[in-house]
Amino acid sequence: MASRLRVLLLVGATLPMAVGCVTVRPEERAILADPVMQFDGDPREAAATQHVIENREGSYGGRTVRGGGCGCN
Amino acid sequence: MHRAVDRRARQRGARAVLAHVLSMLALVATVLVGSLAHAQVADFDVRSTLFLEPSPDSDMTVFTPSASVSVTPWDFLTLDAGWEADIVSGATEAVKAGSVQPNPDIVTTASITDFRNVVSGGFTIRREQTTFSAAYSWGDESDYRSQAITISAGADFFQRNTQLVLSYSHAFDEVCNAGYADSLSPTLRQPLDSSTDCFKNVDNRRVDDVDQDNFQGAWTQAWSPVFTTQVVLTGSIQNGFLGNPYRAVVIGPTGETAQENHPNDRGRAAGAVRARLYVKPIKTAFGVGGRIYRDTWDLTSGTAEVEAERYMLEWLRLRIRGRYYQQSETLFWSDDYTGGEPDFGPRGQYWTGDRELSPLSSISLGGRVMASWRGAKGDRIAGMFLEFQAGGGFDFVVTNLEEFTWAGRTPNDTTALVTQLNVTALF
Repeated sequence: MASRLRVLLLVGATLPMAVGCVTVRPEERAILADPVMQFDGDPREAAATQHVIENREGSYGGRTVRGGGCGCN
Repeated sequence: MHRAVDRRARQRGARAVLAHVLSMLALVATVLVGSLAHAQVADFDVRSTLFLEPSPDSDMTVFTPSASVSVTPWDFLTLDAGWEADIVSGATEAVKAGSVQPNPDIVTTASITDFRNVVSGGFTIRREQTTFSAAYSWGDESDYRSQAITISAGADFFQRNTQLVLSYSHAFDEVCNAGYADSLSPTLRQPLDSSTDCFKNVDNRRVDDVDQDNFQGAWTQAWSPVFTTQVVLTGSIQNGFLGNPYRAVVIGPTGETAQENHPNDRGRAAGAVRARLYVKPIKTAFGVGGRIYRDTWDLTSGTAEVEAERYMLEWLRLRIRGRYYQQSETLFWSDDYTGGEPDFGPRGQYWTGDRELSPLSSISLGGRVMASWRGAKGDRIAGMFLEFQAGGGFDFVVTNLEEFTWAGRTPNDTTALVTQLNVTALF
C-alpha cells in the first residue's frame, strides 16, 4: 500500500513537469485548431446524442469536454 | 399537514414562476444586449434530433427540436440562451414480469405520450488564460420538473498546451408519484396510473424530490502539432426517488405487483481517456477513447469509441464513428423476483423492471456530414452571415439484452436509429 502511494506521488509530481516540457508553438497549431481535431467540436450535437444514449444505458459521466485543439478559446 | 402541503405547493409554484421569469429575462437580455452592444458575433442554431425504435410491441419515437442563440457583445463575454423540447410517443413496459410469472399485458397497457420543455440561459467570461461560465436550465413536463445550475472554470497553462476545466452542477428535480404514505411498505405501493392531477394538491398524488450533484475535472493536453489527449473524471451523487413511478414489478409467486423500488441514494464515478491524431499523408484525424464507470449500485461499464474525420471538399467534412458499450447488472437486478430470491439481501429489499440496470451491451455505428461556408475577410455571405453551417448525421444502435425479458420473451425493441439535422448561422 505504502509503495503504491509512493508511486502515485512520484507520478503526480513528475507528470506536471513532463507536461511543462511539451511545447507546441503558436505557429504550429494550425492543425490542432482545425475543427476535425477538436474534442467535442460541436457540443450541441454531442449533448443531443448523449441525451439519447444516457436514456438507454445505466451509466453516466465521463463525456467529452470541449477543447483540445488550439487552446485559444 | 394540509397546511404544510399547501405551503410546499405554493413554494413550488412560486419557484416555477420565478424560473420562467428568469429564463425569459435571460433570453430577452441575450438578444437585447447583443443588439445594443453591436455584437461582434451572434450565433443562432436550430436543430432537431429524431430517435426511432421500431418494434411491433413497443415502438418508441422521440422528436427533439431545439433552438439556441449566443452573442458575444464584447470579447470577454458570451451570453447564451436556448430552448429544447422532447416529444415522446410509444409504449414501454408498465408491468415487468420474468419468465416464472408470464404477464401477457406487460406492453399493451403502456402507451405513453409526453412533452418536455427545457429553457436555459447562461454566460461565459473570458480572460487571457482563464474562463468562467455559469448556466441555469428549467424543464417541465406533465409529471416531472427539473432545475439545474452549472458553473465551470477553466485555465490554460504552459503556453496553452495544457487546459484544465473544473465544473460543478446541481439539479433539483421533482417527480410526480402515486399518493401513498411514506409509512406504507414498498411491497404494497402501487404505481402511478397517469399524470392527471400531478403537481396539484390532491390526495392521490405526491411529489418526490430528486437531487443530483455532479463534479467533473478535465485535462486536455497538446503533445505535438498533430496529437492531443483528454482525460475526464466525473463524480455524481443522486438522492431521492430514483425509479420510474409508472412501472410495476411482479414480486409475488401468485402475481402480486408493487411499484418499482430502487435505493434512494446512488454514487457514480466515471473516468475517460481520449486521444486524437492527425495523419497528414491521408489528411484525416483519428480519434480513440475509452471510458470506465462504476456506481454504488454495483453497476460497472466500459465504453470504447473510434472515429475518423476528414475534409472531403474545402467546405464539406465527413465523420464516421463507432462505439461499443458493455455494462454489468446492478446488485439487486433480477429478471424475475418470484423465482426463489433470498428473503434478505438486496434482491429482497429492492426490485426493478428497468432494462438499464440489467446486463447489456450495445454497438453503434454512425456518421455525420457538415457543410460550412465562411465569408471572405470583411465580407458576409448573402450580405448577412459571417459563417453558415448545415449538418446531418445518423447513428444506428443495436442493443443486446443479456437477461432482460418481457415475461420470458425476448424484447424486439433493441435496434434504434438516431438522426440529427442542424443549421447554424453566425452573424
